[in-house]
Amino acid sequence: MELIIGGAFQGKTAFAKENFNLTDDEIFICDKDSAPDFSKKCITHIERFSFWCVEHGFEPAEYLFEHAENIFDKIIISDDISCGVVPINKTERAWREANGRLLIKLSKESEHVTRIFCGLSQRLK
Amino acid sequence: MKIFISGGAKNGKSMFAQECAKKLSIEEHLWYLATMEPRDDEDFARVARHRNERAGWGFKTAEWGRNIALHSEEIDCKGTYLVDSVTALLSNEMFCGMGGDINKSAPEKVAKELLDFSDKAKDVVFVSDNLFCDAAFYDEWTDSYREGLAFVDRALAEKCDIVAEFSCGQIIYYKGEDLL
Repeated sequence: MELIIGGAFQGKTAFAKENFNLTDDEIFICDKDSAPDFSKKCITHIERFSFWCVEHGFEPAEYLFEHAENIFDKIIISDDISCGVVPINKTERAWREANGRLLIKLSKESEHVTRIFCGLSQRLK
Repeated sequence: MKIFISGGAKNGKSMFAQECAKKLSIEEHLWYLATMEPRDDEDFARVARHRNERAGWGFKTAEWGRNIALHSEEIDCKGTYLVDSVTALLSNEMFCGMGGDINKSAPEKVAKELLDFSDKAKDVVFVSDNLFCDAAFYDEWTDSYREGLAFVDRALAEKCDIVAEFSCGQIIYYKGEDLL
């Protein structure tokens, strides 16, 4: 498994496409309003999946490992939503924490963890 | 030499940027390019505070809040410029329209003008801000601005010799660590 994180709009998907030779068809973009499809090789905006989980009473890490086949072959991309002010909205607070727990789990299981900053990469693991 | 520095607020970016600029500069060719256009008392107080912090460093000040390309004749080709900040410049360019329009072509314009500017000056130290790591859903205006700033940051980072992020006063280099 590969985990790629970084702030919004920093070039994470571009990095994944270039380094893992991905086409657009191999990338699933999560949506905060619908259940995910984990069949593709690369799953991006996993933080939106975390939001969907919080709204539907699931723990993202548990749900992902139960529902995604071949999870260890996947490239997973998340926006870093861990900084900034604690959200006033309760769901958003729960979301930020749930995504944090998910990323800790993914980071632990991943072969590499890469952080993207202004299009440049930094290897965290 | 081109340097790009970003990071969260109050993490040590400005002081490091000043030190870099001072170190690279030739005597009187040290410039502070202020891009914020002060609008109220709070802004004027901030400008005064920044001026105090720079006092004694030998910076001359240029106040170019938009249309950097229009100042191309004024660029000191021996000059070392500290551009503070990319964030303010983009905000001026993007939200300058009447009736609250967003100028969506501003990020491309700002990136190009800043890169052209940096090719004419001896050195440029760009300071930007990391607005990209929080858990919030923004309105269309704010999100276009964040996307635009990320576009400008990435264009600058690609061309800069040194790219660094500040966190808690610590520096994280993405390239060019050996160059200073």
